[in-house]
Amino acid sequence: MASNREGARGLPRLINVPGTRLIAALLTALALGYIAWKIGQAPPQALQFAFNGLAVGAVYALLALGFTLVYSTVWFFDLYYGAAAALGAYGVFYLRTDPALGSRLDINSLPVNVIFGAVVAGVFAWTLHTMIEPRLRRRASPAVLRTGVAVVAVAMGIYTAIVLSYPEHLQLTLSPAVGLATAAVAIAITQRVAHSVASRVNATLVALIAAAPAAVLGAWCGYLLSGAPGAGLYLSWAVSCLLAGCVGLALYRGLYVYMRERARSPLIMLVASLGILLAIAALIVIVFQSAPRPLPDAFGSTPWNIGGARIKGFNVFAIGVALAGFAGMWLLLKMTSFGRAVRAIGDDEEVSKVVGINTTVIIAVVFFIGAMYAAMAGILTGHDTALQPRMGLLLLLKGWIASVVGGIGNLYGAIVGGFVLGLVEQFGIWDLAGEWKDAISFGLLILFLSFWPQGLLPRR
Amino acid sequence: MPVNIEGIREFARLAREPSELVRHARGNIGLWLTLIAVAAAAVFMLMSGTKFAVGAATLFAIWAILAVSLNLVVGYTGLLSVGHVGFFGIGAYTMAVLTSEAPYEQLRTGVIPTFGWPFFAVLPLCIVLAGLAALIVGVVFNRFRDDIFVLVSFGFAIIAYSVFLNLRSVTRGAFGIHEIVRPQIGAWTFDGNVAFLLLALVFLGFVMLISWFITTSSFGRVLTAIREDEQAIEVFGYQATHFKLAVWVISAMMAGLAGGLFASWTRFIDPNSFILLESVLLVSIVILGGLASIWGSLLGAMAFVLLEEGMRFLPFIPTEYTGQARQVVLGILLVLLMLFRPQGLVGRFRL
Repeated sequence: MASNREGARGLPRLINVPGTRLIAALLTALALGYIAWKIGQAPPQALQFAFNGLAVGAVYALLALGFTLVYSTVWFFDLYYGAAAALGAYGVFYLRTDPALGSRLDINSLPVNVIFGAVVAGVFAWTLHTMIEPRLRRRASPAVLRTGVAVVAVAMGIYTAIVLSYPEHLQLTLSPAVGLATAAVAIAITQRVAHSVASRVNATLVALIAAAPAAVLGAWCGYLLSGAPGAGLYLSWAVSCLLAGCVGLALYRGLYVYMRERARSPLIMLVASLGILLAIAALIVIVFQSAPRPLPDAFGSTPWNIGGARIKGFNVFAIGVALAGFAGMWLLLKMTSFGRAVRAIGDDEEVSKVVGINTTVIIAVVFFIGAMYAAMAGILTGHDTALQPRMGLLLLLKGWIASVVGGIGNLYGAIVGGFVLGLVEQFGIWDLAGEWKDAISFGLLILFLSFWPQGLLPRR
Repeated sequence: MPVNIEGIREFARLAREPSELVRHARGNIGLWLTLIAVAAAAVFMLMSGTKFAVGAATLFAIWAILAVSLNLVVGYTGLLSVGHVGFFGIGAYTMAVLTSEAPYEQLRTGVIPTFGWPFFAVLPLCIVLAGLAALIVGVVFNRFRDDIFVLVSFGFAIIAYSVFLNLRSVTRGAFGIHEIVRPQIGAWTFDGNVAFLLLALVFLGFVMLISWFITTSSFGRVLTAIREDEQAIEVFGYQATHFKLAVWVISAMMAGLAGGLFASWTRFIDPNSFILLESVLLVSIVILGGLASIWGSLLGAMAFVLLEEGMRFLPFIPTEYTGQARQVVLGILLVLLMLFRPQGLVGRFRL
């Protein structure tokens, strides 16, 4: 397991056959030469392919980022990842009320809503149990605390089910939650600022003073939201990302924790998550049918003309999301104590447990964040092309390839690998039919594993 | 550890002395499961009429050949391969292209010549071509282990699917190939489904015999040792890569055989029969039945076929979703197995 990481990764060592480097250099030169020749032939078309490559690469980069985060923490391939991408995309489809989509109301089904409500209730119960209960232990009896946690968790579950049941009123049903979240964030920020200005200040007093303006701010935000019909799209994105993340967290806490205790090899975890992927993919077909489903055009669907190439505003937005996702992940990992804990667990889980890191909580949050990244990537793909039940497995594999190309376990490698994979795929299908692109990306993977198994940017 | 010979002797002994059966059955989960599966199969046959049951049994035979062959790689050698469907597809397409006489015109290349060869002349070619492909793929894949091997084998499955879908001048792309011939010996064709079932069962027995021979030989013991500790067996002077390559090629040849049979049985194939999902399902069959156990693979394939056919009788599942419902059950079973029984139902190797 974690102690046997080199073995777990199964990366081949660099081959020391003398010709290997030469072949690798030749291949690179050939590829670059081909691209240069192509660019010389038809510059506008090359620009078009580069745009497409970047747009596709943004999705791969997002996938690879989340994938890298999870993989470099627990060192097993969690195939739920693909399911998270599909869940995110289908979640938006489920929640969109666009009349053009037609049969949405046929799809909304009570069992689905109840299942997700139960998952959210479980996640809330666990979160409150691990985060809030220890702090209040001295002020209330355990029985009261238990009951309180249970009540809040069940209430959240019911709330989630209600939100999912009435997707056409998403702004309305979600505005209290957004208001509350805004108020909570405002209070937390005030407290943090007050603490850094004068460290002896009474935290409770500050919180009480800040509560009133924060409540007003929250209510105002909620009010604004409830009156903004255009916000439904973004809210549906947020909801389906959060739900996919909750499922990821629930899977880790409810299943993987027990499995990792006894697993002899990472393959056990891989096969178990394969089972989850199979089950979720089949459930998606049962709920949504196997025919491809379109998502409504988000925005900027009319292409711009830049230098003879056409690019959609949405693709630019996707690239922006990938970069923002990278920046967020970088800040999270390099700047916060949470990030230090994550890196410590990635280096050695046993020792980090010994020095007092609550590994279960940290890893659960890592799974949550990773699944949210995957869901976002799935949503971006869904808006760009169409939804298919099989998209999850393919997206998962693409993210996996991107992280291998960039260098497994390296954050910078993930984003570089994503864009490189996207560009190679798009330039590769210049002379071939578009259906070859999956074969091309796997060919790239096999080349990389044969000649540069450490990837473009190796992990230190 | 010699593996299956004891099991077979055990079965033979039990068949002679039924009183032993009761004593033996306690704590032998494999026997119980086999009995349950056979009983379920019998009930199913009674409920659904002969024609349906013969079809299901043929499907079982083909999946069983695939599962037994994959078990050589996954169970005995410890390489979790998800690319087996590629070799299956190569076998099936060889059979389809060389035996079909259906005319096919393409816009650019004109009329594609058809061959119309007989089944038994093409079947060895299916096996050889799948083996050759496996040799090429295996040389590249040989140095990967564990997770990375899983990833590249996914890759092989997807590349093979792309080739089936896009190499239109040979495979006719998404249209598929019609009019694949049934086997024929002299004037007698295996036209009837029962006759074909018998043929498939003969091939299944043949494949099981070879697998049994491999796994009980010294070659099989080296494979088991590679699974347990590759470096240790290399210290003893065995080239692990050669052994892995050999078993990979053998397994692929069996899959090619299964592909040839499948093409001839359905008489029509298109790339949708060889998607990645089939491969994933196949792996889950092997793990479900039991790693490093030939009987386990049979049990897994039987459970797989029975699950789908059995789902038809459940009233609350619409008929068009039986395959999906089976997939859900299979996925949940996999998770439960990994939690409580990582060697599969009757397996001898914990993943």
